[in-house]
Amino acid sequence: MSLNLPPPVAALSKAIKRRGATLALNGLDLMIRPGQCVALLGPNGAGKSTSVALLTGRLRPDAGEAFLFGGDPRDVAARGRMGVMLQEAGLPRTLTVREQVDLFRGYYRKPRPLDEIIRLAGLEGLERRRCGALSGGQQRRVQFALAIAGRPDFLVLDEPTTGMDIDARRALWTAVRAEIARGCAVLLTTHHLDEAEALADRIVVIDHGQVIADGAPEAIKARVSGVAIRCRTRLTDAELAGLARVTGVSRDGGRVTLLTTSAPATLRELLARDETVDDLTVAGASLEDAVTRLVGSSTQRQAEVA
Amino acid sequence: MHTLAVYAREAHAQIVSTWRTPQFLIPSLALPLLFYGVIGLGLSKGREEIAHVMLANYVIFAAIAPAMFGFGAAVAAEREAKLIELKQIAPLPAGGYLAGRLVAALALVATAIGLLGVLAWFGGVKMVPWRWAATLGLGLGSAVPFALVGLNIGLRMGSQGAAAVANLLFLSFCLFGGLWMPLDLMPAWIAKVAEVTPSYHLGKLSMMLSGMAPMADVQRHVTVLAVISSAAVAGAWAAWRRQAA
Repeated sequence: MSLNLPPPVAALSKAIKRRGATLALNGLDLMIRPGQCVALLGPNGAGKSTSVALLTGRLRPDAGEAFLFGGDPRDVAARGRMGVMLQEAGLPRTLTVREQVDLFRGYYRKPRPLDEIIRLAGLEGLERRRCGALSGGQQRRVQFALAIAGRPDFLVLDEPTTGMDIDARRALWTAVRAEIARGCAVLLTTHHLDEAEALADRIVVIDHGQVIADGAPEAIKARVSGVAIRCRTRLTDAELAGLARVTGVSRDGGRVTLLTTSAPATLRELLARDETVDDLTVAGASLEDAVTRLVGSSTQRQAEVA
Repeated sequence: MHTLAVYAREAHAQIVSTWRTPQFLIPSLALPLLFYGVIGLGLSKGREEIAHVMLANYVIFAAIAPAMFGFGAAVAAEREAKLIELKQIAPLPAGGYLAGRLVAALALVATAIGLLGVLAWFGGVKMVPWRWAATLGLGLGSAVPFALVGLNIGLRMGSQGAAAVANLLFLSFCLFGGLWMPLDLMPAWIAKVAEVTPSYHLGKLSMMLSGMAPMADVQRHVTVLAVISSAAVAGAWAAWRRQAA
């Protein structure tokens, strides 16, 4: 590591955390530098939420370390530079949007002006509504308002756009981009790969509590060299995996995605084996394909080890 | 200074929130007033002594519901909604949330007891000023041990279970503590149960402070209350740490 890099905003170092019988984090290393927007991706149970819990001081690692602004994430001063939007967090039903946002502003030493927060979170016109009377998407916007109330240097967004419609999602993306432009570092967990692609300049894929890929979105996509063939077919996964040049098979409803290093070679065999192939498209591999593939091969390795 | 302001804001928000929850506010205020007005004053007509004894018991009764429900049921609900988690992550000083809740509960109890005092005064209950202050003050202070017991429910149970248990404890504390009916009118085994309820010991102390019973066994009552409160603090602390760890 070179010495002129700025110190990390938040970091996990060889973090191990057991939750119940499962090893949620298995020696995870993660470092977020100022101004970076890092998307943390992985299947359910991969360790995303546990990583967030460690970095925000809600959980302590069993072994290894968690740092926030160089110190303990439980330190009030460090938490004062962080804003957090938790997955599925609630709001007090009886307080108005304005009261709740103002209450959270008060926790910070140098908060944003209330009106600025309301505007950035797109809550104009809802200030006097009780939080209990808001729709799911509106409540998420209030959660975002609470996260940016202290003009944070580090913003943690855990599944920020669940329950939002497309317009609200895009509005939130714009607001997050503005925070990034201001120099705020962001840690984003999401199931929407398009969201990660739209916001993040770095993707970290984790599975079984370990980092399995870390790099710019383009670099992650490049790890899956080649092309994605999507179609409906009656061939089984095993038969599909046996086709020429196929490097990955995944299913989504009735459709199958084949990753291949040579579309013509695979297509020739596919069409020869199954004349009922339908709904066929061929495209460059997306980030989703890349992540699916990376996670798939990591799971396979795990199975081989076990 | 900043920390103090945060505590004040948190307390203010909790009070506003309480004020806007009529299903909690009305029973907390109306139940003791109604019971005392009807039973304490209505039935004891002309016999100030009974109204006086009942006041001593009702100031304790008035503290139980806000403390049990405001801490037991409400904390469980907010914990389930992950509201507390968000506050634990936010740069809110440790205990700010609980302190805010306690202030809100005390404000509610103070209102209920203040109204009880006014009702009793109009009903003809006479005491020297220090006895008034001591009786009403003890009622207010008794919210703390009850709140601590309630907190143990709120931090350990789901919101459904917490509401049920808070209700059960609320009724048991009133009944077994002899706050509604004198214990000597009830079977002997109830007197045994009474020994382990904070309401019984608080009721006894309240009777002494209001001048309706001779000072006796003060040390024992205070000791039992201290033991119950310490156990509740330890239990709540462990539960708070466990959900944070």
